[in-house]
Amino acid sequence: MSVSVINSTNQPAALDHYRTLFTGRADAGDALSTLRRASLERFLGTGFPTQRDEPWKYTNLRRLEARRFALPEAVPVAADDDRWIPDCGHRIVFVNGRMLPALSTPAPQPPGVTIVSIAQWMQHSPDEVAAFLSRHESVAAGPFENLNGAFSEDGIVIDIAAGVTLERPLYLVHHWSAPSSSRPAQSQMANPRIILRAGPNSHCSVITHYTGDDAAESLTNTRVSFDVAAGAHIQHLRLQEEGARAFHIGTTHVRLAKDARFTSHDFALGASLGRSSTVVELAEPGAAVSLSGMFAPTGTQHLDTHIRIEHAAPHTQSQQDYRGIAAGRGRGVFNGKVIVQPGAQKTDAKQSNRNLLLSATAEIDSRPELEIYAHDVKCSHGATTGQLDPVSLFYLRSRGLGEAEARALLIRAFAHSMLATVKVGPVRTWLEERVQRRFDLSAGDMPSGDTK
Amino acid sequence: MLVIENLKVRVGGKQVLNGLNLTINAGEVHAIMGPNGSGKSTLAQVLAGRDGYEVTGGSVTYESRDLLALAPEERAREGVFLAFQYPVEIPGVNNVYLLKAGLNAIRKHRGEPEVDAFEFLALVREKMKLMQMDESFLSRAVNEGFSGGEKKRNEILQMAILEPKLALLDETDSGLDIDALRVVSNGVNSLRRADRAIVMVTHYQRLLDYIEPDYVHVLSGGRILKSGDKSLALELEKRGYDWVKEDPAAA
Repeated sequence: MSVSVINSTNQPAALDHYRTLFTGRADAGDALSTLRRASLERFLGTGFPTQRDEPWKYTNLRRLEARRFALPEAVPVAADDDRWIPDCGHRIVFVNGRMLPALSTPAPQPPGVTIVSIAQWMQHSPDEVAAFLSRHESVAAGPFENLNGAFSEDGIVIDIAAGVTLERPLYLVHHWSAPSSSRPAQSQMANPRIILRAGPNSHCSVITHYTGDDAAESLTNTRVSFDVAAGAHIQHLRLQEEGARAFHIGTTHVRLAKDARFTSHDFALGASLGRSSTVVELAEPGAAVSLSGMFAPTGTQHLDTHIRIEHAAPHTQSQQDYRGIAAGRGRGVFNGKVIVQPGAQKTDAKQSNRNLLLSATAEIDSRPELEIYAHDVKCSHGATTGQLDPVSLFYLRSRGLGEAEARALLIRAFAHSMLATVKVGPVRTWLEERVQRRFDLSAGDMPSGDTK
Repeated sequence: MLVIENLKVRVGGKQVLNGLNLTINAGEVHAIMGPNGSGKSTLAQVLAGRDGYEVTGGSVTYESRDLLALAPEERAREGVFLAFQYPVEIPGVNNVYLLKAGLNAIRKHRGEPEVDAFEFLALVREKMKLMQMDESFLSRAVNEGFSGGEKKRNEILQMAILEPKLALLDETDSGLDIDALRVVSNGVNSLRRADRAIVMVTHYQRLLDYIEPDYVHVLSGGRILKSGDKSLALELEKRGYDWVKEDPAAA
């Protein structure tokens, strides 16, 4: 791709849109407004990232820039429960950016857990929210986090008390529902903010699930922070299956204190353009993070996984294990970066990315990176990209399985090792069904000896 | 059952089979022997339908059909089975799943209903016992982490479940210690039947001590140079392959 193409953005017009959108809102003149305005100014100062920005090298945002996303309208939603996975614990539902208590698990909240709606908190004490959010402001916030800061209207703050172990997961669903009115639907964006603070030695599983109608052209620009205190253990399951016309930009920040553990499984299946960016700070000795996931673009989907792990203290561990499966003209990106700061001796960092290309037009860009500024460390990385093994295919066919069936079986087998690590049973079943459906279909566009 | 006439095959630009003729009838056990590079494994792979083998001449007729026109899975469903020299490890695919999918594909082809899950498991357990396979086999992935002997036993287990009409055993004895060889041979012998043909491809005579062939063929330079009964294998063991190559008519 040439430099002139990268530069051919129409950013001034796009940025004007967001300035106008911002000024069109009521300004209470309080501390929260000031905080939001500062976020807006930072966003306007940088604009959207371009492919000249290293972390965005393989992801072109011109289509996203060209949209004039409006703030979301409240849409009446029937309380049918096929939008979420049943039996996944304490459910909190957002529709079009707004938390809907009617669809969420009713009170009481699980013992030892405090869940606060940011929108409600803003109504009561905006100054408190402003003070709270500014404490959670990261100096290294990127353009989309700033956009989120400027326009975020709702979200939740979850506090888990010290020593509490949650038996069942906290299940956060964000759903896009297209307005059913006759006029053409306008593109809308939501900027949910989720902050979870895990007290010392607490244990909890959190599921964040992003879904949507195919009719809704939307941007979900979500910002999730995990602040994990000493000895706490958080497991995060991230499921992105937004509609066919959706843009999804997700940023997850994790900070781990002494001996804290964070485990995540990130599955990117939906959206037209999706990106999941995870930034982890191993801030104190003994902290450990294990990130895994799968991205599976088909059609013309573009799914980007971006990881940045910073070993800022000695005796910290990180592990990354990601798999990509691209079919059709799908494009996948994996960029995992590990930084070992000076003094972070005895760091143990492993990184693995294995990719499967199912068509000649599919593409996956894999870019593992290590930046090491300490000498006594153990770091490894490996990346492979290939096609289905012809010998395995022949083996299965020689046992009577049709070509399409054999292909689908091998694809599922490749995905299986990722799915098998998901401990929440209903989510694993749900994922298995999704993966099976997806690749039984995509196997159909292959020449098949089994179509009689 | 199988008639191979003047079969010529190229692999990667090299002529490997060069006018091979062979007729196999139901109930017979044939051993195809030959030095390395003689084309033994190529013959087995071509009959099973592997890609990358270019048939440049001749024909293969299986039960009055052109075998070479069939896809690998169609051959399997028609009763052709290849026991691989190097069975493939397939992580993420369970052994029992593969057995069941294969058997059901074959049954569907014959117009039979899918196998009953309970009866199927009983059948697998019975055959596992025959092949002296550990209970853990049921929960493991296809050949994943199997020893060489376990992989070969698994091939014969698959054969026992799928019940082919024509079984091709490609170097099934290679890499087996004497105990494993005995188990594998017992398995194969238990599958000898009047309506089933077995073709063993092997470099060594050793296997034939356990599975007694009706016919022995010597393959060299892509052709069958000599055919005989079991005594031919013993002769080969004594005198080596050069003896046939030098003067096929003399022996």
